[in-house]
Amino acid sequence: MLFTLAWRNIWRNTRRSLIILTSIVVGLAAMIFMEGLARGLMRQTLENQLGAHVAHIQIHKRGFNDNKVVQNFMVNSDSILSVLPQYGAIKTFSERTIAFGLLSSATNSSGVSIVGIRPSQEEKVTTIKRSLIEGRYLSGEPREIVLSKRLSESLNIGLGDRVVAMASALDGKIGSEVFRVVGIYHTSNSSFDKMHIFIPMQNAQEMLHAGSQTAEVAILAGSIDSVQTLKNNLEKKLGSDYEVLSFYDLVPSLVKQIEVTDQMMIVYYLIIGVAMIFGIINTMLMSVFERIHEFGVLKAMGMKESKLFSMVVIEAFLLGVVGTLTGTIIGISITLVLQKTGLNFASFAEGLSSWGFASIVYPLMDYSSVMTNVMVILFICILAAMYPAYRAVKLEPINAIRYV
Amino acid sequence: MELIKIENLEKVYQDNGVPVHALHTLSLNVNQGEFTAIAGPSGSGKTTLLNIIGALDKPTNGTVYFEGVNLLEKSKRELSSLRLHKLGFIFQAYNLIPVLTAMENIEFSMMLLGVSEKERRERAMKAMEELEIAELAHKRPNEMSGGQQQRVAVARAIVNNPPIVLADEPTANLDSVTAHNLIDIMEKMNEEKNITFIFSSHDRQILDHARRIVFLKDGHIEEDVHK
Repeated sequence: MLFTLAWRNIWRNTRRSLIILTSIVVGLAAMIFMEGLARGLMRQTLENQLGAHVAHIQIHKRGFNDNKVVQNFMVNSDSILSVLPQYGAIKTFSERTIAFGLLSSATNSSGVSIVGIRPSQEEKVTTIKRSLIEGRYLSGEPREIVLSKRLSESLNIGLGDRVVAMASALDGKIGSEVFRVVGIYHTSNSSFDKMHIFIPMQNAQEMLHAGSQTAEVAILAGSIDSVQTLKNNLEKKLGSDYEVLSFYDLVPSLVKQIEVTDQMMIVYYLIIGVAMIFGIINTMLMSVFERIHEFGVLKAMGMKESKLFSMVVIEAFLLGVVGTLTGTIIGISITLVLQKTGLNFASFAEGLSSWGFASIVYPLMDYSSVMTNVMVILFICILAAMYPAYRAVKLEPINAIRYV
Repeated sequence: MELIKIENLEKVYQDNGVPVHALHTLSLNVNQGEFTAIAGPSGSGKTTLLNIIGALDKPTNGTVYFEGVNLLEKSKRELSSLRLHKLGFIFQAYNLIPVLTAMENIEFSMMLLGVSEKERRERAMKAMEELEIAELAHKRPNEMSGGQQQRVAVARAIVNNPPIVLADEPTANLDSVTAHNLIDIMEKMNEEKNITFIFSSHDRQILDHARRIVFLKDGHIEEDVHK
């Protein structure tokens, strides 16, 4: 009966209750959506970076990551390649050579990272093949090159045009080779696009006079959760001659950015929570002050202070339940729809791209986080009702009855 | 059996620093089953006396015994419990809970006592039938006339079978016919259930129903008439 009374009390002043409900609904829906958007943005950015080149784990000769020169290539990567199939956590892997050099067309040139790959391996590890917007992927034929749209525009070249790649070789000389453009790709990360070109492994090794040496083995794990364990196991197995680096080591700024985003969300929640608390306190106080005479009658009838306190708290709790239920439905619905369609930030594409963000962001729904938000808001509602409830129980019945 | 014993009751209010004597060395005994009216002009102390008997207010001096227990020695919690278990109130402005129906208003006082829902329903319906307001069961106060609301208030006051019901000017907002009907009902409850009624009024015709009239003037008993 106390619930019935509390529920009906809420609707005594429909307009006021609807206003506070709207603030809860909008606040929670915004929390769910914003969290989904932030998670989606970060996850997408991470996946794009890992998918484009970084992968989950990279194995190099020790020292290569700090000094990416041909002299730090792995002399015998076969010993590594023979070990990898033993690990069930590994989904796939790819060998690469990497050298910084110059790519020149007839009209222009640009500093690039020349990545030598085995196409059949690499297409399973990275998304470059899927990012092609013109032409085709490397076929395995010699002297083919895949580069980005941005680089092709910068060099003023297109499909079928020839370019010259140059890089410092293992013997200290400058190695160079002519390539024909067979494919043009585009990713959401403009910095990556400007730097990375892909050529066949054999041509890269010949150009760098590196024999059969390779720079790294990029590994994709079956699950992102298994990366750290896999890294530790590989480190033990391969010994100190090699460095085994996970994406946490390779893109620490991005990992940090994800952590910072999570912390920023807490600040955002705090602001919404504080605003909500004061809104509910205000509503409940108004509601209590409007019913001083009635509370006096209830106390005259012998209603216990604990019951009166509960009644006011239940009113706020019910407001919270209605608000969170509606807010959750709206928040989840918006997030789920946009999770499929994506949210187009085309007008900010250039700026987003320079930070490695995609222009179409797909929010990511996290139900456990939604549950936490709902619980927090219900707690806020109850907390906010404490003071008004305290004021109600502290009324002297004789004074309250006289109150008009 | 003596239900209420008041000795040398005095109540002084402060009105902007000026002491106002609402009650002067007032002594009064009320026995179980009485149907007593407190009469007197405005400001004579009727409401103050009822509030003190109802454990809503405390006297400045004097003692109030309820069933032999000194109310002044009781804590706020104990007084609240006493009001819940031993007292019924009827107010001039009815004071029903506006969001509850007539039935729920009557049930509410039983809910405070922890009576089960089934029993609450049965007892509330029985009380409404006794007061001939069963057809109002599902109406809210704003859908009822003043007389109907006051009948519901009477039902709410008696449904827990308290030894005493205090009614402060219960007929003041009612027309004369409705007022007489209400007093008839209170009288009937008094006779049938042996519930003690103390009500205040300054309406001569209403006072005629009482078997005892305590006339107050300027805070003291001017006359105590037993019929």
